[in-house]
Amino acid sequence: MKEKLILSWLYLFFILTSPVWAQKSGHNWAKIYSQELFRITEVMVTDVASPPVAARIYSYSTLGAYVTVLDSNPDLRFKDFLAFGNFPKPDFPFLETEIQSHEFAAVYAMFLVGEKIMPSGYLLKEAKENWIKKGLKEKIISKKNLDTHLQLAQKAADFVLDLARKDGYIQLTALTRYTPKEGEGFWFPTPPAYMAAVEPEWRTMKTFYLQNLEDFKPSAMAPFDLNEGSSFQIQLQEVYQVGKSLTEEQKLIANFWDCNPFKVEFSGHMAIGVKKISPGGHWIGITGIASEKANLSFAETAYIHALIGTTLHDAFVSCWKAKYDTNRIRPETVIHQKLDSDWKPLLQTPPFPEYTSGHSVISSASAEILTGYFGDSFDFVDSSEVYFGLPERAFSSFYQAAEEASISRLYGGIHFRDAIENGVAQGKKIGKTIWDRLD
Amino acid sequence: MRLFFRTLILFWVSFISFGKEGIGQKYQSVFEGVPAKKSGITFKNQLKEDQQNNILRYEYFYNGGGVAVGDLNNDGLDDIFFTGNMTGNKLYKNLGELKFEDMTKSAGIAGKDSWTTGVSMADVNGDGLLDIYVCYSGKKLPESRRNELWINEGNFKFSEKAKEYGIDDPSNSTQGLFFDFDNDGDLDLFLLNHHIEVINELEFDRERNARHPYAGDKLYRNEGGKFTDISEQAGIKGSALGFGLAVIASDINQDGWMDLLVTNDYIEPDYLYINKGDGTFEDQLPDHLQHISHFSMGADIADINNDGLPDIFTLDMLPEDNERQKLLYGPENYEQYNLMIRQGFHHQLMRNMLHLNRGNGYFSEVGQALGISNTDWSWSALFFDANNDGNKDLFITNGYYRDYTNRDFLKYKGDYYFKQAIAKEKADTLHLVTSMTSTPIHNYFFENQGNIQFKNLSLASGFSAKNFSSGAGFADLDNDGDLDLVVNHLNQVSEIFENKSSKGNWIQLALKFKGKNLSAIGATVEVYTGSQRFFQELQPVRGFQSSSSYRLHFGLGDQVKIDSILITWPDQKIQKLNSSPVNQLVTIEYQPTESDNQIKWTPIPLFEKQVTNLDFNPSLSSVNDFKRQPLLLTMPSHLGPIMGTADLNSDGNPEVFIGGSKGIPARMYTWKKGDWEVYRGFRSSADFTDAVVVFEDFNRDGALDLFLGSGGYQDYLTSDEALQDRFYLNDGTGVLVPQSSFPKYSISTGTAAVLDVNQDGFPDLFVGGKIIPGRYPEFPESKILVNDGRGNFSDQTSTYLKNPRIGMLTGSAVQDLNGDGNDDLILAGEFMAPKALIQTENGFEESLNYFDSNLSGWWNTMKQADMDGDGDLDLLLGNFGINSQLKASQEFPLSLYAADFDQNGSLDPIFECLIGDGYFPFASRDELLDQMVSMRSKFTDYASYSKAKIPDLFSAQELQNAQKLEIKTLESFYFENIGGEFKAHRLPSEAQYFPVYAIHISDVNEDGRMDVIFGGNQSQARIRIGKIDAGLGLVMVGLGEGQFRPLTPEESGLRIKGDIKSILEIKDGENKSFIFGINQKQPEIYRLK
Repeated sequence: MKEKLILSWLYLFFILTSPVWAQKSGHNWAKIYSQELFRITEVMVTDVASPPVAARIYSYSTLGAYVTVLDSNPDLRFKDFLAFGNFPKPDFPFLETEIQSHEFAAVYAMFLVGEKIMPSGYLLKEAKENWIKKGLKEKIISKKNLDTHLQLAQKAADFVLDLARKDGYIQLTALTRYTPKEGEGFWFPTPPAYMAAVEPEWRTMKTFYLQNLEDFKPSAMAPFDLNEGSSFQIQLQEVYQVGKSLTEEQKLIANFWDCNPFKVEFSGHMAIGVKKISPGGHWIGITGIASEKANLSFAETAYIHALIGTTLHDAFVSCWKAKYDTNRIRPETVIHQKLDSDWKPLLQTPPFPEYTSGHSVISSASAEILTGYFGDSFDFVDSSEVYFGLPERAFSSFYQAAEEASISRLYGGIHFRDAIENGVAQGKKIGKTIWDRLD
Repeated sequence: MRLFFRTLILFWVSFISFGKEGIGQKYQSVFEGVPAKKSGITFKNQLKEDQQNNILRYEYFYNGGGVAVGDLNNDGLDDIFFTGNMTGNKLYKNLGELKFEDMTKSAGIAGKDSWTTGVSMADVNGDGLLDIYVCYSGKKLPESRRNELWINEGNFKFSEKAKEYGIDDPSNSTQGLFFDFDNDGDLDLFLLNHHIEVINELEFDRERNARHPYAGDKLYRNEGGKFTDISEQAGIKGSALGFGLAVIASDINQDGWMDLLVTNDYIEPDYLYINKGDGTFEDQLPDHLQHISHFSMGADIADINNDGLPDIFTLDMLPEDNERQKLLYGPENYEQYNLMIRQGFHHQLMRNMLHLNRGNGYFSEVGQALGISNTDWSWSALFFDANNDGNKDLFITNGYYRDYTNRDFLKYKGDYYFKQAIAKEKADTLHLVTSMTSTPIHNYFFENQGNIQFKNLSLASGFSAKNFSSGAGFADLDNDGDLDLVVNHLNQVSEIFENKSSKGNWIQLALKFKGKNLSAIGATVEVYTGSQRFFQELQPVRGFQSSSSYRLHFGLGDQVKIDSILITWPDQKIQKLNSSPVNQLVTIEYQPTESDNQIKWTPIPLFEKQVTNLDFNPSLSSVNDFKRQPLLLTMPSHLGPIMGTADLNSDGNPEVFIGGSKGIPARMYTWKKGDWEVYRGFRSSADFTDAVVVFEDFNRDGALDLFLGSGGYQDYLTSDEALQDRFYLNDGTGVLVPQSSFPKYSISTGTAAVLDVNQDGFPDLFVGGKIIPGRYPEFPESKILVNDGRGNFSDQTSTYLKNPRIGMLTGSAVQDLNGDGNDDLILAGEFMAPKALIQTENGFEESLNYFDSNLSGWWNTMKQADMDGDGDLDLLLGNFGINSQLKASQEFPLSLYAADFDQNGSLDPIFECLIGDGYFPFASRDELLDQMVSMRSKFTDYASYSKAKIPDLFSAQELQNAQKLEIKTLESFYFENIGGEFKAHRLPSEAQYFPVYAIHISDVNEDGRMDVIFGGNQSQARIRIGKIDAGLGLVMVGLGEGQFRPLTPEESGLRIKGDIKSILEIKDGENKSFIFGINQKQPEIYRLK
């Protein structure tokens, strides 16, 4: 495995330094796309974008690239999802002049969108400059054509940003803030930072595909009931017991899929925020790995990333609606109150209600789309978490990865089983609904 | 006769409290650092930061060292001992004239190579020589931190005998305090300790009930020279949550037994141990202090207002200036705060607290009103009279070597780890530590101006140097009749500050007690001169990790003669000295006089609390208006209960209306000679929040009718049916019948007044709007409703009010201002000056002649009466008060800009006020970003926002288009009607300590002059503002001429905790009773004695 990595690094080194190979066709576009998208991920980490917010940022950034590519009228393997979702029609062609590299403009458009949509978007300045340098140096575009490409990117970005302006995001701060429900079984902020509920009104966000959120409501959760033998009590015991006797493999799985954008560790007056990519970021990472493995063209890479990005967004809206419909208590809170004041979950409990499991919903929805696109038994090695000192993990299919992501929340001690299982069903339904219209 | 006496007593007291105004200016406090070359003091508490020793590994790495001052060789000069955390301790012999000799080596007293903390000097073995007790802490093995007791063998020879005495305790100690807790004549030891590990929230419950061997505080009883740990049996708390940073002994309740204040850092509340006199203590803090410092650090207890009662002061870490306030940590999480309350950790807020002792165990926290609440991370607090003017001034040391609560650092650290991970490099902890900024700050000196006023003279009085300072002590080191300061700096040579003030007269007392407590720890002294009384307790351990001189120093100002000195010895025997000369040291041997049963003068209170069978007991409300408009400063929902009274069925027993709020319907009772009966003739629904009640015979049938103004905020829509005002006609038998014909409008009503607008002789209504739910501070409409004489009203607002959106009204009064025979209106409200509306042929027109436009305030209520007996009606207006972080003045008004700046459909109210020495937005960065998405990219870190002013938030165009409101005073006023205009008189300080929501005017002492009762407080403010609860129900006696004298709670008898929203006076026969309506609590009833 290690050898393979070194080889691919060598390969990259080669194409970056050898002018003979630096032809347009010689570019590993899937890889380049992922690398450049990671610049946006880094800004999200700096800004501590919450999971639903991160998915929104991925949606519009990847749409920026995709809309640019569409301008070239490419042949795509599957149907254009813009035609099916809640999208207005872009006014193609954006420019009347000939375009040397839609790829170049697409990546630039991605940055332009990211720049505007993220609080610290200004941090992309360096990425933008480097991208232009790279484009000129590697003759992806000529100096003479640069302005035209930047104009094209701006047109595409404007189209996408106009969508973003109208999706309900800035209205969120006009809505009444969340107050934890009084009574047993309801969610309450969790230690150690007792952070306020994340995006309680996310249900009011516009979706890209789902017409009616009620259609994607998860099955009913087990009602709060501490009586011996009740479904809730059994599930509670399961989280508690599993958490107390975790195997090394289970710990590894839980940590691999933790994806907590901001874990706060306290030391007296001092708090340290440990940052990671979000669950959506993890699946964007997997999409990149698969695109590269399948040797996708730039247009196809942009297609599948934007499709995953927008699917993630819809899945989060649906899941967040469920969370604030149910306001269910987290295992940590109830175990601490009723069973064992010393019990601690392996993962830090994220700051929002428990039902359904976000990772289960979005992982399943993503796996549904990725399986449709790349095929049933597409094996891959997930190296998305290598940055954080976690090993790579090999999966035989997207479903396998999604299932592991889902059950990891039980090992992590932050979800009950029904939130996971019903979340998986919810996510699958979302993914299938979207894919069925494209296939 | 009884009344005469009462008046006499009240006047006598008034001499005491008014006798000393204006002395402060005459004597100037000046201190000057003595150069090390001259003093010979070279001690330096130098830290070495490395991989093993740093703030990430040891929480209390930057707390600093201590100071002990005392005369070790009885030569009349106080010597000095310094402790160093990682360096050896040092002992300096005082050679006189501020020259010192390092005796450390010959005395062999440098101590061991362990983390050293606090120090105190006390004559532990009672041989007449002060011994030295040194505390140790740190992360090494327990054995390494056993405390040391250096027994003084004379001539600067010491031997370490902690083990022999049984106090070689291995706890993580902060300070040892020697005092005689059981009054058996010898000194016992309270050992203040702290934990060194952070306790996880989940472990709170378990840890609270367990005694931690090294973190728990301890009490050692002296049993014939051997000390025994009696912590458990004596009721001393010892949990792992204890992070003790200061302990002060004082007889808080004046029962002759020493009580203790222990301050705790972090979540654990401070303890106020009341000595029960039976060998045990009980922590009664919540009974006495309604809110306390959160991360309590140093402390002091002293009588700051010369009323003979010890006041309590605790330090915290709130910075003075805007930049550091916005940059450093500050709590704003409501759920976490509520959880803290629910788990029994009491109301804790991050700032210094001054608990003014009001007698009988009642305290009012007034630190912000005194301007001493924001002094950054503060360690030592010392009250002492620096300029000998008779008032104890305040010195505070402060500074923390690294800004490790910097909020950007929290995120930066995360980024650092993330970037290192991506770069595949190991994160370096020491690099993180050294990348933290270090901000030295100056110490604070506040000069006590008398009359409970402090003036920040830090820079002018010699403390402008920026540094890090921890332990400190005071003593007259050069015996020149003033107190000098000794300060232990961090990473810098310690300093002596010579007192060079232009000063008043003084006297110093050296007390010689008997037995094993020769130095008389625990004695109290009262010095009487003229009309003044000066009070001190002999307790050398004060401030932080330090102990000060044993000599008691009293400044006397202009007084050249002392009438008497009253010493209460530790055995409670009293010694009285007559007429002592001034400006000298007097040594007083123990020779108690016969009359040891001092008659304590206690006033006869005006009011007496009544037991009641009133069953109106509303449950606590969880409505949080900050969830709806996150930038509000206080919650407009919690406005009740309002009250009103009328005899509806003319049976001679008054009915009392108590207003409801959403979820709790209003109730009406009949008051029958102290008994309450539910009144059957009235019914209201639970949808409404009653804001205004008016009883008036609107249809002139001889029976009183009822107008109810519906107000509140809650979750009401802007056009909510529950905002509809209601009108009831009395059917003549006392049954109130709702009138559906009453005009329909939805206004959250703030006030209403009865007047005749059309001169038809029938009472009409002015209804003032206060707020539009969800749209604060947009002005709601006000109304003129005209009565046809039969109780049918018609809305004729457009005829009488040109612009019905007058303001956010809370008070209205009707009188004929211009003498034309027509009713005119006086209006008051939030963010406006009182306003006069004159009735003309064209309806009401505003006249600017009556009120100074510079008196825009946060007026909550207004009442009118003839206060000065000149035949016209004067006004009293209740404002927000000055006891909060909000400041307002002519030069720096509290401003409010409002507009939908980000065009998302919600109003963005942006407050701007004076913070430190500049004008800045009030909202924290998190609060602002939560309100407006657009600000998230404008201020991507705390640093950029920490310097931002309003023009950095919005363009000139945006500000120009915004609604702009101002408050120029937050003080409550008396407005004297001088014919044609109202003259504003500021009310006494005691009336400014809390927001006033209820005013009642009555001649309570029956001297023929009107008196005033103020009720208020505000428990529903932002966490950063916190509970304002200094008001206990304030009676101000009218002295005529518009002068008022506030009564102490002891004099008035009023001791009401909570937010008073209404006051009602009812009579039965000769008896007068006063009902106080308290938000979310049962009303309290007091009878006039």
